[in-house]
Amino acid sequence: MIQAGYTPPRDLKRVSTLALAVGALFFALLVFGLLVDRTQFFHAYLVGFIFWIGITIGSMALLMLQHLTGGAWGLIIRRVLEAATRTLPLMLMLFIPVLVGLNQIYTWTNRAEMDQVPVLREKAAHYLNPAFFMMRAALYFAIWSLMALLLNWLSLQHDRTADRRFSKRLQMISGPGLGLLILTITFASIDWVMSLDPAWSSTIYGLIFVASWSLSALAFGILVMSWLAKREPMNAVVRTSHFHDWGNLMMALVMLWMYFAFSQYLIIWSANLPEETVWFVARKHGGWGVIALGIVILQFVFPFLTLLSRAAKKSPQRLGMLALLILLTRVVDVIWLIEPSFNREHFHLSWMDLVAPFAIGGLWIATFAWQLQKRSLVPINDPQLEQALAAHAGH
Amino acid sequence: MDEKPDDRHQSIHATTPVVGSELTFGSVTDKISAIVLKRKTPFGWFVGFAISFALFQLMMLAIINLLFKGIGLWGVNIPVGWGLDILNFVWWIGIGHAGTLISAILLLLRQRWRTSINRFAEAMTLFAVAQAGVFPLMHLGRPWLGYWLFPYPNTMGIWPQFRSPLMWDVFAVSTYATVSALFWFVGLIPDFATLRDRANNKSFRLVYGMLAMGWRGSARHWHRYETAYLLLAGLATPLVLSVHTIVSFDFAVGIIPGWHATIFPPYFVGGAIYAGFAMVLLLTIPLRKLYGLESFITMRHMHNMAKVMLATGLIVVYGYMIEAFFGWYSGNQYERFMIWNRMHGPYAPYYWALILCNGVTPQLLWFKKIRSNLLVLWLISLVVSIGMWLERFVIVVTSLHRDFLPSSWGFYSPTQWDWAMFIGTIGFFFALLFLFIRFLPMISIFEMRTILPEAEVDEG
Repeated sequence: MIQAGYTPPRDLKRVSTLALAVGALFFALLVFGLLVDRTQFFHAYLVGFIFWIGITIGSMALLMLQHLTGGAWGLIIRRVLEAATRTLPLMLMLFIPVLVGLNQIYTWTNRAEMDQVPVLREKAAHYLNPAFFMMRAALYFAIWSLMALLLNWLSLQHDRTADRRFSKRLQMISGPGLGLLILTITFASIDWVMSLDPAWSSTIYGLIFVASWSLSALAFGILVMSWLAKREPMNAVVRTSHFHDWGNLMMALVMLWMYFAFSQYLIIWSANLPEETVWFVARKHGGWGVIALGIVILQFVFPFLTLLSRAAKKSPQRLGMLALLILLTRVVDVIWLIEPSFNREHFHLSWMDLVAPFAIGGLWIATFAWQLQKRSLVPINDPQLEQALAAHAGH
Repeated sequence: MDEKPDDRHQSIHATTPVVGSELTFGSVTDKISAIVLKRKTPFGWFVGFAISFALFQLMMLAIINLLFKGIGLWGVNIPVGWGLDILNFVWWIGIGHAGTLISAILLLLRQRWRTSINRFAEAMTLFAVAQAGVFPLMHLGRPWLGYWLFPYPNTMGIWPQFRSPLMWDVFAVSTYATVSALFWFVGLIPDFATLRDRANNKSFRLVYGMLAMGWRGSARHWHRYETAYLLLAGLATPLVLSVHTIVSFDFAVGIIPGWHATIFPPYFVGGAIYAGFAMVLLLTIPLRKLYGLESFITMRHMHNMAKVMLATGLIVVYGYMIEAFFGWYSGNQYERFMIWNRMHGPYAPYYWALILCNGVTPQLLWFKKIRSNLLVLWLISLVVSIGMWLERFVIVVTSLHRDFLPSSWGFYSPTQWDWAMFIGTIGFFFALLFLFIRFLPMISIFEMRTILPEAEVDEG
């Protein structure tokens, strides 16, 4: 159902193939890693999985945000975000290895050990146990799949029929949907990442994930848009004003992430309770301290200063480069969140931690590029399309 | 009410005019300035002002008595050393946040509907911050020594503790008050000039003339003015986040269960905007009716404000859920007891009333029918305002009254002087508001003109 004029560029097919090849190559490396060091494989695998599911789910959050608020910025990037949410079946499949490696990844699977610590005994009995963990994961995926299905299906119907009821329904589900999404992200982040340190907890943790997953998704979306902006047919559609708006949103998300992350740090540092500081201690000593500082600089200070400039926000190349930098830093951030939980005593970084994001990423991007080809790159019947395409569009 | 269901999409996406279509440049100026200059002051104004002024006197009485006898007049003691004073401070300062959000953030986001309500909301901010300031100042016990809070070279060998968020509060709140006042005043300048030019009364002309600071409306004036206004908006924007973030640090950096939670900063900021919008709605709905401002403040404004209230209300609900969940998940016995004590302890009715007011009632706002019914919307705003007060009560009091050692547990109940101060500040707040709507244009005249259909210029 592709309208003439907004047909996705042919290059996408090449991208898909190339990504698949790169993914396969890195996966082969990873399988070699599995044979060498099974435990380390699963740790690295979790890094890759969390990074990419973040883009899938973050895209869903941005998609609903743009349905709620409207505006030209969301209309032009909508199809990219939609294609990103359609990678969810792949991510569901890629979740299976996490379940296989549950014992290698999560210490709470060892009940005998958990029962020795009074604080953990009850937690393991009622919450952090494999059965309930899988049930909750099934619930998150069920909710996410339902939302992704609805968002994509309604949008397609609207393209086909131009019936305003569909776009209205999209708006209606986006309000409650966004609430539900924030809740599921929160609990998924507790289950999948926070519980790596079963004794530790922080109440803002879920919101940090909401902000950083949305940031990953937007950075990815901007990267794709700056690639598409050079090609038919989007070179005639995308305007610098759209990049300006995305740049502003990226600025907002960068600040939101820093606000949450810094609040968590300051409150824990200030109270100085040993059961809480232990998390930061593990992430500050050895090389992790330098990495933490690097994350703050590359995921906040540098983007913040760059995005103050209007020229940088309006240039597809510069904004695209910045988005790429943020994406790479996000990978490091995920490694920093996950890896120190496994080696508290000393700094340890494996080559697999760097390989896994590319292995999963290859498959993810191949799926994404394949899905992006399936529909018109612009929602053709949207009531706001004319305004968005106008010369003075986007304010 | 004034929108057919089919218009929904449009109304949300700002393609329809924000204000009534019958308005013109002339009628806007006439209508708003007449409230100040020409229209007879309604009888209701005198009644309202008299009541609030009387309550303001109650506050003065409470303060004088406090200065004579000391803080012992209040219900605070060990273990509840922070009672109504801090909670009223947090409540009032939270209310102010809606004004800053409307005037600064919505300006930067180019939300043009804000224009009808920003002047009024900014005034509300300023008056609410004034009330908030009263409580910590009076809690000092010797407010005339309040300047000791500032770092200045002195012979007493005292220096503020810069690691304490209470210290940051002093700076945050005083910055907030200053920037809000400046922003409000700068916004008023062109309107002062309009009033100066239209006043028939000589003394009015003199006063408005002085306040207008020589405004002539030349292109150069406007050029500078727009720059200054945008800069102030940029300055005010981080304050929406920073002030209540620091207020939340007052609690969160401590180690008291119920206070020490990393979620506090966003949770407090959300709650502040929530309470603020409730207060804006609480005030605009009757004012709009009394002064016949329906074509300025339209149903679209009501819908938008109701939606902001719903969204921020959900942030607060998220906070309650996360607090309860982590109370259990942390595995810490004190955290678990704190949550249990909130739900089942002596203050449980407050907790459940809070959940009802802040968590359950606002869910009605999902429905367009309810958002369109102004009476119900007004009642919901009232319930939310009470709910936000209860929230601070629960946070402050239930966390303190039963801490780690059962032998040091206690109970807190506010005295009549606590209540006198609180009710007095409500009187003070309303007295200022009544003066504001009588002597200043409560809607920005010059900004209203820019959003009229008449102002649309075809740039193509």
